[in-house]
Formats: sequence, C-alpha cells, structure tokens
Amino acid sequence: MNRFGGLVKQLWQRWLQRRIPPSRKVTLDQRRIFIFPTGYGFLFLLIAALLFIGGINYENNLLLGFSFLLVGLFLIAILHTFRNLAGVTLVAGGMRAGFAGACGALEVRLQGGTHAHRSLWLRWPGAVAEEVSVEAGEQQALWLSVGLSQRGRQHPGRLRLETRYPLGLLRSWSLIDLDHPCLAWPKPLPGGECPASGGEDDSGQQQQRGGSEEFEGLRSYVAGDSLRMVDWKSYARGRGLNTKQFSDPAEGRLWLEWQRLVGLDPESRYSRLCYWVLELDRAGERYGLILPDGVLEPDSGPLQREQALDMLALSGSGGADG
Amino acid sequence: MARVYQVPRHAFPWLIVAALLASLPHLWRGPLWLALTVPVLLGWRMLIQRGVLTMPGKLVRVPLLLAVVGGTLYSHGTLLGPEAGVTLLVAAFALKMLEMFRLRDAYVAIILGSFVLATAFLFARDPLTTLYIGLVLVVVMAALVGINDPESGVSPWRHLRKSGGMVLQALPLMLVFFVLVPRMPPLWNLQVNQQQAKTGMSDSMSPGEVSRLSRQSGIAFRVEFEGEVPPAAQRYWRGLTYGWFDGRRWSQALPPEVQRNDYLRFANGPSPDWYEELLAERGEPDWRYRVVMERTGRQWLYALSVPFSDRQDVALARDLRLLRKDDIETTFDYRVESYQIPVARQGLPEWERRFYTTLPERGNSQARQMAVEWRANATGDAAYITRLLLWFNQEDFYYTLEPPLLSENTVDDFLFRTRRGFCEHYASSFAYMLRAAGIPARIVAGYQGGELNPLGDHLLVRQYDAHVWVEAWLEGQGWVEFDPTGSVAPTRIEQGLDAALAEYGESALTGLAGALRGVPLFARLSLLADYIEFGWAKWVLGYNQQNQLEFLSRWLGEVTPQRMVMALAAVGGVVMVTMLLWMLWRVRRPRLVWWQREHRLMVRMLTRRGVPLGLHMTTTQIVQIAGEHYPSARQPLQDWQHCYDAIAYRKDIHDPVSMRQQLRRLRRMIRRRLIRRQALSRQTEPSREL
Repeated sequence: MNRFGGLVKQLWQRWLQRRIPPSRKVTLDQRRIFIFPTGYGFLFLLIAALLFIGGINYENNLLLGFSFLLVGLFLIAILHTFRNLAGVTLVAGGMRAGFAGACGALEVRLQGGTHAHRSLWLRWPGAVAEEVSVEAGEQQALWLSVGLSQRGRQHPGRLRLETRYPLGLLRSWSLIDLDHPCLAWPKPLPGGECPASGGEDDSGQQQQRGGSEEFEGLRSYVAGDSLRMVDWKSYARGRGLNTKQFSDPAEGRLWLEWQRLVGLDPESRYSRLCYWVLELDRAGERYGLILPDGVLEPDSGPLQREQALDMLALSGSGGADG
Repeated sequence: MARVYQVPRHAFPWLIVAALLASLPHLWRGPLWLALTVPVLLGWRMLIQRGVLTMPGKLVRVPLLLAVVGGTLYSHGTLLGPEAGVTLLVAAFALKMLEMFRLRDAYVAIILGSFVLATAFLFARDPLTTLYIGLVLVVVMAALVGINDPESGVSPWRHLRKSGGMVLQALPLMLVFFVLVPRMPPLWNLQVNQQQAKTGMSDSMSPGEVSRLSRQSGIAFRVEFEGEVPPAAQRYWRGLTYGWFDGRRWSQALPPEVQRNDYLRFANGPSPDWYEELLAERGEPDWRYRVVMERTGRQWLYALSVPFSDRQDVALARDLRLLRKDDIETTFDYRVESYQIPVARQGLPEWERRFYTTLPERGNSQARQMAVEWRANATGDAAYITRLLLWFNQEDFYYTLEPPLLSENTVDDFLFRTRRGFCEHYASSFAYMLRAAGIPARIVAGYQGGELNPLGDHLLVRQYDAHVWVEAWLEGQGWVEFDPTGSVAPTRIEQGLDAALAEYGESALTGLAGALRGVPLFARLSLLADYIEFGWAKWVLGYNQQNQLEFLSRWLGEVTPQRMVMALAAVGGVVMVTMLLWMLWRVRRPRLVWWQREHRLMVRMLTRRGVPLGLHMTTTQIVQIAGEHYPSARQPLQDWQHCYDAIAYRKDIHDPVSMRQQLRRLRRMIRRRLIRRQALSRQTEPSREL
C-alpha cells in the first residue's frame, strides 16, 4: 500500500512537472489551475438537496426554485473562483537565507491581470500561508517563509497558490515551481575551541599589536561585550560571566579553518565554523575563512558575515542542489 | 493551522442584516415571543461587536436554549412538524448568531440563514414574497463573500455588488433547472397546512352557510379558456352535490346501494357502466379550459358539466363532478373538457330514484301539501316545475344576505312566512318541493359566474361567487339544472352578486374592500395584480410533472429520461459557457480614481461657466485659460492645481481623506468665485447700457 502510494505520488509529481514546468515567471491559466469543492461547498450542495427534497414533498415549486438557485450559485461560483486565480502572474523575487532547521524567506511578486484577484493564499510546503489581494494591473510583493531542513541550496518545492473567494464553496489552486531556491546556512553548533589560527600566517605587525595588549582585570559581563573577552575559565568555575579588560581593544585577524576541527564529521565542522563566524562577527572581529574548496579574505562587518555564511552553505556537497 | 480566524469587521454588518431579514417573514407570522427574542439577540450581538457587552458564557447560552425550546413547546404544543420546527429553527439561528465569534461560526450561521430563508416559502408563495426572499439571498451571499475576504478595510458594499452580480448570473441557471429538472411525485406525504382551516364549500349546507362565504373576497379559482368563454348565465361551476336532506341540513351522501368503486372513475381504475355510456355519448367538447385553484383542504374540483380531466389523480363521480384523490393543499391546476351530454338515455335506476326523492317523514306539512296538490293539477313534471319557478318569481321573495332566522320547519317557514333568503334558501326549498312532488332532485354546490379579466382573458372566481342550485331528473331529458335564485334575482346570474345585492340595497363586502371596489383606478390595479398572480400560479406554482411533460414534448418530441438529462446538460452547459466567456473576455472600462473624478468635475464646471477647454489639456493649461476668464479665481485655481498635481503625479498622498476634502473645498471655492463674477457682470452690464 505504501509502495503504491509512493508510486502514485511519483506519477503525480511527474505529471505536474510536465504540466507546470519550473519557471521564474508563471502566468496562471486554465492549464495550471485546479478546482474542487471545499467541505463547505459540499455542505452547501447538501442543503440544496435537502431543500429539493422538501420542495418535492411539499409540492412547493418555490422551494424547488430556491434550491435550484443555490445550485446555480454554486456553479457560478466555479467560474468566479477560477477567474479569481486566472491571469495572475507570479514572479520569483528576492531571497533571504536562513539557518538549517530554521526558516528562510523567499519573495514572490504577484502581478494582477485584467481583473482583481482577492484573498489569495500562498504557501510553500510545510510553511505558514500568507494572504494577499492584488488589484487589476497592480503588483504586490510578498515574503514567504520557507522551512529549511539542511545546509545548502534548498528547493522549497512547489508554491501553493490557493483561493476560495468569493463564496468559499470551491477551492481553486495551482502548484507552481518558481525555480526559486533558498539558501540554508549551516545550523550553528556552539562550543569548542575557536578553530582559528590567531593570525600566525599573517604579518608580524599584527602579532606585535596583539602582544601589546595588557590584561587589566575583570568586570561583570554586559550585553554586547565580545564573547572573546569573556573569562571562560571563571565561568566554568561557576562565577558567572565576566569580561576580561585589556588596556587596548583587541583587534586581531583570525583565520577560521575547516582543517582544525578534527574529530568532527564534515557537517558538524560547517556548523561549528558557522557558530564561530557568528561569534566573531558579534565581537566585531576581523576574520577569514579557509575551507577545503575556498578561501575568504579576512574582513569584518555584515557583508563579510554574509559571505562567510554563504560560503559555508555552499561548500562541499552543500553546493549541489539540496 | 491552529490559527483562529475571526469574522472580518466589514462582513459583520451583512451577517446581522442577513439574519434579521431572513427571519423577518417568520417573526411576522410566528409567536410573539419569537418576534421579540430574535431582534434582542441580534442587538445583543451588535453590542458585543461594539465592545459594550461581553460574549455570554455557557451559563447564559444553555438556559437561553432551554427557554427557546420551552417557548416552542408552549406555542405549538410540539417540537415536530413544520410550524414548530421553523419556530425552533429561527430561534436557534438567532442564538447561533449570538455566539458567533470565529469564522467557522459565521459559515454555519450563513448555512442556517439560507435554510431559514427558504422555509419562508412553506407559508407564503406570492410573487412579492419571492422577490423579497431573492433580495435577502443577495444579502446572505454578501455576508458569505465578506467572510471569505480577510483583507481589512474593505468596503462592505463591495461584497453586496459581488453577491448581487452572482445571484443575477445564477438566475438563468435556476430557470433552466426549474424548467428541465424532472419533477417527481412526493417521496412521502408531508403537509404543512393540515392545521389550517378548510376554505370554500363544505360537505353539507344549512341555511346561512353559503351567505357566510359570500362575504369573503378570497380567490376560489381562475379559469383560462381555450377559445370562447361561456356567457355568464352558463357559468355554473359544479363542485359537489347534496343528496340527503334531514329537515334542516342538506349533505353529501352516497346511496347505500352503490359501491365507491362503481361511483368514482379514475383514469387508471376500472370503468363503470355509466362511464362507458357517457363516453359513447360524448361528441366534441363544448368548452376546453384550464382551472388553477387555490388551496381548499378538500378534494372537490370545480368544472362545467359534464367534465373530463386528463389527470391521473382526478376522478369523475357518478353525479358528474370531478374530485381529486387527495386534498388540495397547494395551488392545483387541471385541464378540463366539458361536454353537454344528454344523460337521459341511461335512465335512473330504482334505487337512485328512491334516494333522490327521499325526504324526512315529518315536518313542513304545508309545503308538502302544496307540492302534492300542484303536481296533481300539472300536466307533467316540467309544467309543475315551471309553475313553481313562476311562483318564486311573482311572490314577494327577497334576495338578501341577511335573512331572518328560520324555525324548525325551515321550508314552510321560508316559503310562507319570511320569504327572505339567499341562494341556499331558494335551492333548499325548491329541491324540497320537487322531492315532495316525487321528482328526483339534488342540490348542486359550487360557484356561479366569475369576473372576466380582460388582461389575461381569464375568469376570476372568488369565494363570494359561491352558489347552490338544483338539478332535477326529468324523464327523457335526464338531469336538468334549475336555479330558483335566478327566478327571484336574475341579476345574480347575469351580473354577479354585487349587482344583485345592490338592487336590494345591500353590499357583500363591507369596509375598505367594499369601498375600494368602486374606484376605477383600484379596479384596474386589482385586475393587473390578478393577471400577475394568475401567471404566477399558472407558470410558477402550477408547473408540475404534467405541465412539464406537456411543455417538454413540444421541444423534445417524446420525453424520455435520457432526453431530459441531455437537454438539461446541453442548455445548462450553454448557459455556463456563455457566462464563462463573458466573464473572461469582458473588458472593463477603467474606473476613475477619486482624483480623476474631481478633475472631471472641475473641467465640467469650468466648461459650463464658459471657459473653452479642450479634451486633453494639462492642468497647467486649464488653470491658465480659466484664470484669464476669471481673474478673481486665479489664486484658488493655482492652489487647486498645486494640490491636484501633488496627488495625481507625485502620488504625494499621506492622508487620502483630508486631501480629497481639500481638493473638493478648493473646487467649491472656485465655483463660488465664478458665480460671484457672473452675478457682478450681470449687474454691471445693464448699467453700461444706461
């Protein structure tokens, strides 16, 4: 049974792939729109059927007429619900990467056709739906969150665009492959020693400056203090978080190295590196990244962080489509 | 998703309005407590929405529900049956509205609301009610559109427009279904109106009963003739016959010798001898017509003698009248062909002769004596009857709706003392006199006359046309109709009750109805209303299996289930596809945005004041030209342009409402300057001439 189900699913996906091929820009037409009554629609028809039986039994033509009007409304609702989706154009927009295990976001731009499209619900599989209305000829952009399961470039699956407007009796929907991948950074794995070579490979100038730092004492940790300055030894002894005070602000140049993380499987190494990238970024450090398949020159700031994380996401097998 | 979706604010007014309008027909008709409870509950819900009150908890709702059930039991004595069921449904619906909070509740409320709305048809079926229910359905659907539009800040009117459009589009489909969906006989027998009083004629007659009907202007039935309409004096609509007289009351009775099977002839039942003889005698029908009758709660149908109907459930009785198998609980229509058949050749069996000459053994001795004497002196039955009718005509008998009470010997008392009576008095005493003379006689009850509506060319027969007359068996002629009322008041037969009563200074209809009858406009309006109502009864209420078959056989030839389904699919499909194409290819004229409308108003106003403006001028050009014509308005014109350009071109809209107001205010200011300028120039010009 399970195998049979799997087969059906496979056939369905293949059929969908042929019918609605992946594209960065899709305009919905009758080939791409499916429509089926909702549970409420069936209830509505049931009420019409009850009124029909009532009309027959009481020999009441007006009751019959009322039930026919309800059925007529249902049929007209098919056209309206269909039309509400037909003609809308979806364009793949921007992307916001996220950590594996959390959510990223993808932008979808909707372009209205010749008429208004009201109450459209958009959602990637496994994510929360968002509602949007697009007036005729206007454009709306929508950021939709995507659940990210593992590191790398992730394909969120088919976007489900659904509407029940105007009467909620029918659901018309489309499953669109916007060819719109989302990048998943590795999930940060806290702990361990900082896998950094503290500027050994760098010029001596840095070392000298590093040597000139003088330890002045401890003060209690204040939010925003660099974690590098935390006196971890005293923390381990249960004295709480304390920040080491140096006479000069520490400004180093660190190389985070994949190679240094021995004893960990590759994915955990990426995760650990990710953690340290975040940490160093928070501390405002300059850092570089050395991975088996690439090197990032040391720098600091949000752009550096972004680049480092993207590199971590795409390194190794993460480069392949996940 | 575990999110709780609330009812959108803009959908809420429609929900409340729809609930109130859908229950209104029932509030009008139902028990008083219901009419008070429902608006209170809806008002309560509105206050909750406003935040004045809080949502009632179970402690309030459960007792309310119990109270509603108790109230229904108190008012109807039961919870079952349509009347009590609808009361309970309406009350439960209002309670559901009270606890409506989530979107799901609103969906349920809308389903309940459409059900409540539909049940109004159980109690009223006139065109106005139907129109009302159609309009309320638009509101109910507007509520449904509203709860399906979670966007905030939407105008509620948009929902109404949408639902109105959809209901209009659904109407052609409804029409197709109405005409083409095969009608079936009832699956099981249900009747709403069983508790309702029966109307019209009853199965027995004592003095004063027909005159009671004569005060009612309700519609008994309408008749549409194919071809000629019979003259007034021949419009004797037979309903039933009274063969048994107990001294005071005439009643319907079956002679003990005759079996029911032998007495009635249904289309699919056995055919008795008398029916075969009738068939053998009949030639071409004299009248062909269709009768659409209102509910009576009785079986009897009204027709001209001798009637044959094509309906399966209608029987011809031995006393030459039609009756239906079941009571008539809804509008009922039937086609009749009437033949003037001499039934004399069939002869009157001995048992029937005995039955139709039976009188109570005692009482009314004076009348009996006179009958025996007169019959002995007459040359035959016919001569005796002629003399009797002449006597009625020449003695001082009065036709009146308010006859004096009669003593125990009703016939004696009437014929020789009071001499004031209505048709039942004349028919009753006349039949008595015939039987006393040994002539078989029976009383026929039905309607006589009817008002011809020139609009639809149909006859309208009202309750006050109720009439009774007499049939006597004459050797060699068969059953012959005699109307003693016609001898006393011939106007009644020729011109109807009103005219006849007027001769005696009376009127059947008192009060407003009577007063309005004389007004020509009202008469014309009531003819029109009758025409519409008849069309409604004929085409809408009376469209049944029979009519459907007749109608469809015109188009489909032989009507088979397959053909019906195919016709339904074909016509329904064509309607749907037409609508789809119309919807998909309809090119909507672009609607103007509010500032564009302001612009158009401005240009129009300036043009009216004589500023020569071209069609596609820029605002700068417009303001410049207008400023040259009206220098005093130059400043506000420039302000207006500045404001307009900011809105329309730089899309500099922070606060649409106030900007709109500002634009409008400037336009009005300009208009005032323009007017003042005109007024000034008008004042100055004549002075220049001086």
